[in-house]
Amino acid sequence: MKKRLEPLWYILPALIVLLLVFAVPLVRTFTMAFQRYSLTSLNNIKFNGMENFRNLFADKNISLIIKNSLFYVVFSVTLQFLLGMILALALRRSFRGRGIYQAIVFLPWAFSAFVVGLLFRWCFNGEYGVVNDILLRLGVISERISWIGTPGLSLLVVILAMVWMGVPFFAIMNLAALQSISNDVYEAASIDGCGIVSGFFAITLPYIKPTIITTILLRTIWVFNSFDLIVMITNGGPASSSQTLCSYMYTQAFTSYDFGMASALGVVLVVALAIYTFVFLVVTNYSKAGDF
Amino acid sequence: MSSRTEKKVFGIIRIIVLVVFMLGVILPLYWMIITAFKTTPEIIDTQNITYYPHKVTLGNFVEIFKAYDYGHLLYNSVVVSVSTAVAVTILSLFGGYGLTRFKFKGKNLTIIGFLVTQMIPGILVIIPLYVVLSKVRLLNTHIGLFVYYLAANLPFCIITMRSFFERIPYTLEEAAQVDGCSRLKGLFKIIIPIMFPGIIAVFVFAFIGAWNELIAGTILINSHDMWTIPIGLKSMIGKYEIKWGTLMAGGVLALLPTAVVFAIMQKYVVEGLTSGAVKE
Repeated sequence: MKKRLEPLWYILPALIVLLLVFAVPLVRTFTMAFQRYSLTSLNNIKFNGMENFRNLFADKNISLIIKNSLFYVVFSVTLQFLLGMILALALRRSFRGRGIYQAIVFLPWAFSAFVVGLLFRWCFNGEYGVVNDILLRLGVISERISWIGTPGLSLLVVILAMVWMGVPFFAIMNLAALQSISNDVYEAASIDGCGIVSGFFAITLPYIKPTIITTILLRTIWVFNSFDLIVMITNGGPASSSQTLCSYMYTQAFTSYDFGMASALGVVLVVALAIYTFVFLVVTNYSKAGDF
Repeated sequence: MSSRTEKKVFGIIRIIVLVVFMLGVILPLYWMIITAFKTTPEIIDTQNITYYPHKVTLGNFVEIFKAYDYGHLLYNSVVVSVSTAVAVTILSLFGGYGLTRFKFKGKNLTIIGFLVTQMIPGILVIIPLYVVLSKVRLLNTHIGLFVYYLAANLPFCIITMRSFFERIPYTLEEAAQVDGCSRLKGLFKIIIPIMFPGIIAVFVFAFIGAWNELIAGTILINSHDMWTIPIGLKSMIGKYEIKWGTLMAGGVLALLPTAVVFAIMQKYVVEGLTSGAVKE
């Protein structure tokens, strides 16, 4: 008996923390989603069935916000994946000073979104920003653009900041995968007349497919879930034009204090993420591609 | 194209790519750093935006300490981040060990459970946590923030630690056990010294995770003297007139510890980050 319980002593502390801090609040989210739960009237909490969900889908902003979320996720993940892949390929062969080079180029991965957000907000500042100044000097634009104050452009700044932060992640992961391919494979292929480009598609890509799938899956979810850049750069504005589902949930909860509505949105988020994960794994045929 | 010219062309492209990426990382940081050292009149002179500080000043750094009490923010951030990192490292050391060295029912389920927590949006947990913490009177305390950071960073760190354990052959421990060494003693005497890179990686992950977090901080903390650095800096942009010089000085100071830690530990951190996802 003692032997069977032994593993528990090692894992139990971690499990208790996660149950208390993740599981309990999550159950609360699901119950609050079906309640009238407003911090401004805590004496008047009661179940109201599907009312929060009806209100949510009747919200005139909701279609814009879903569109923003898709745009934000698809563009930032695609761009950071492509750039990260290019960087990983460039770093594959060793060169003098590669360690130092990596220590610098991978830095944005460790940086906090709140500082990166501040930095991009400053660079894209409409009056004093360096981006406008460079574009003016190059003659690309004839007058300063109000990046943060223009619907559409403000979300673009968020996406650029997100890409800047995300490239190292893909570079690190893909580089590790690339380095696990033995050089013999390429040598054998080059004897058979396989060039660099065809080698990439015939050997490299199939070999690192499992890593690509895992990293894109994880990163998509991570990008979808994170909104501190939005809070720092645009705060959802102007007029909800850079609001995503997660940032909207935050705004709903802490400007109107309507936790019921925010929780309903949270339930929708979880369902959406579950569907995404399932579809992604089926489409990419993950079970055949390899495992964790 | 012959394979030799092909090699040459790609060699040149590679150098260009490396230079472009380097500039892409450095130029924004350069802009932040020089803004922090410029005087306010120079920063807001729209007619003449300067590409290096014509008059170098430390005024912004002085102001952020004096007017915005950066010293106190720093103290709060260090307290919360270090305690998170220590607790996460200890719990994931034991958790990772338990998940590698034993076979038991529900083991895979536990691991999947850890992975699933990584997919849940943080805000989904933070909102109800706000309700729970207010009931147990832990709202607006560092303990409340610590508890959330602990849970938020634990699953990933346990999984990372587990993949480090998997690389160490069990026979090493068995040999020690045969010699009369208890399991726990074996863990401390034999495994931990070998595991050092993994332990460092996990510590850095948890520290950076807590140090960089903004959203939970703004929600769970509301009084000035409890603020961590992210909350303090965010409060400075709510105002009509943003003091960019001071703000950038604060940004530079906030990035400094993570940059130093990451640059020194880069090898271990990269190893930790890739250990789970890439099979060898």
